[in-house]
Amino acid sequence: MIEGFRLGVFSRGTTLWDGLDFEFGDAAAWFVAGPPSSGKSLLLSILRGERRPDAGDVLVSGESLYRGNAALARAWRASCGHVPEQTTPDARLTVGDLFRRSALAGGGVRESDRKDRTDRLLEMVGLPGALGWRTAELSVSERVRACLAAELLRGPKVLFCDGVVAGAGIPCREMLWGLFRALAREGNTVVLAERTIPERWALAAGDAEPVGPFRVYRLPVPGGGAKGEPG
Amino acid sequence: MSGRPSLWWIDWRLSRGPLVRETIGRFLFFCLLGFALLSLLVSGGASRFLSERYAITAVLRAAVSPAEAEGLTRKVAALPPVRSAAYRDPEAAWKEFLRAYPGLDPLRGAGGNPMPGYIEIRIRPDRFSGADVDFVAYALRSVPLVEQVLAGEEGLPRLLRAGRLASRVGWGIFGAFLAGFFLVGRLQERARAISLAGDFAFLAERGVPAGRLAVHRAAGAAVSGFLLAAAGTAAGGGALFLSLRYFPFLEGVVGPPSDLLLPRTVAAAVLFSCGVALLSAAASLLGWRAARSGRK
Repeated sequence: MIEGFRLGVFSRGTTLWDGLDFEFGDAAAWFVAGPPSSGKSLLLSILRGERRPDAGDVLVSGESLYRGNAALARAWRASCGHVPEQTTPDARLTVGDLFRRSALAGGGVRESDRKDRTDRLLEMVGLPGALGWRTAELSVSERVRACLAAELLRGPKVLFCDGVVAGAGIPCREMLWGLFRALAREGNTVVLAERTIPERWALAAGDAEPVGPFRVYRLPVPGGGAKGEPG
Repeated sequence: MSGRPSLWWIDWRLSRGPLVRETIGRFLFFCLLGFALLSLLVSGGASRFLSERYAITAVLRAAVSPAEAEGLTRKVAALPPVRSAAYRDPEAAWKEFLRAYPGLDPLRGAGGNPMPGYIEIRIRPDRFSGADVDFVAYALRSVPLVEQVLAGEEGLPRLLRAGRLASRVGWGIFGAFLAGFFLVGRLQERARAISLAGDFAFLAERGVPAGRLAVHRAAGAAVSGFLLAAAGTAAGGGALFLSLRYFPFLEGVVGPPSDLLLPRTVAAAVLFSCGVALLSAAASLLGWRAARSGRK
């Protein structure tokens, strides 16, 4: 359970938001929709323990991320996966490097396991045989999917995705819909931050909870009392 | 999946190509440095060269019998600073004299062989100092069988000073190259830390402490530095060994090839490798710190 209490952020000389309460339950896929420049990426970095909020606190399983033990915050970050919003790619990296780096962060991934899982994950996100491709030569959609697959290599308990649905593009939405719900069904927590929620996802998720400038949806998980399928 | 990432050889895992090139460069550098180090160690700087050319001559009295002279020679050879002591009887001394000054045969006609026998004493290169030369000369002068000791004491201090200066210059150049390695190594580490900054930030975001990264990188640099220095010194030693075997005249300057395997030479090479390991770790930490703070 990730809880944000009375979260506030002051940025560019003004209050971006203040007094927001969030509650992201375990084994669920959460969708945070918010307009541009509303602080979605900032919210994700606060929840990941990367950026201390200017007001309020974040609790993970009842322990404070920012006022508690530093080792706990590190352990929390180690258990998280994060797919950032795609900006300028690192021209030096290949898709294989993304996986190698991810394995290094996770530690304990055997070389043979890594290769096997890498191939399966790349195939799952529709990029078979992309291991040697340079990330700079990929489209935004391909890059998003490659980064997502690399994060999944470590099997993170909590996955934060920033603009992944929009970045991956419409043809990949079905795959992502299935993937996020499957991850939640397996006990993982997924938190997505996007500008808008795809219409069919919104229909399936039902009513959103408004929190400040955001609207928080809980995506239906198969076998978990889903409201419906997106179509 | 374990919670603690294995960060050993992290640079190698993240950036193999540049690291391979760096490693090859460092190995070749250590081959040269190892060659120089072993040459300096075995030769003792300029000591061997000078001690090869320096000898103490103990001129014996005319009445000394060959048996007495041989006995004295054995005793002199047993002195700690003495490398070798060789007795030349009056006949051999006369022949040497004629070789040096041909045409002086008539000198012998009147009163027989005018040359006395003598003992030629050579000092060990590692004991070639004013105190040890004085010790040997003093010991010889107190022997009644010896008429005169020619130790060149007037010019010896100058010779020793020149030898010390040459040794210091040699070690100074070696030290300058070692310092150059440290500075270049620090720049290389810094450049690598900058080029891998994205990867390190990625790892830090995922709960890997920056301090742990720096320590593991430094430890990796120390281990690879030690291995490279040891391998380079071994290769340099091999090259020196072959050079001494194929060009025997070098033995007069450097020393015999067997000295390369003396325990003190091996210990010094190990010490050198340890020093390189420490310098590599320090260069890694300083390069990391400079890269993070954005300083030069």
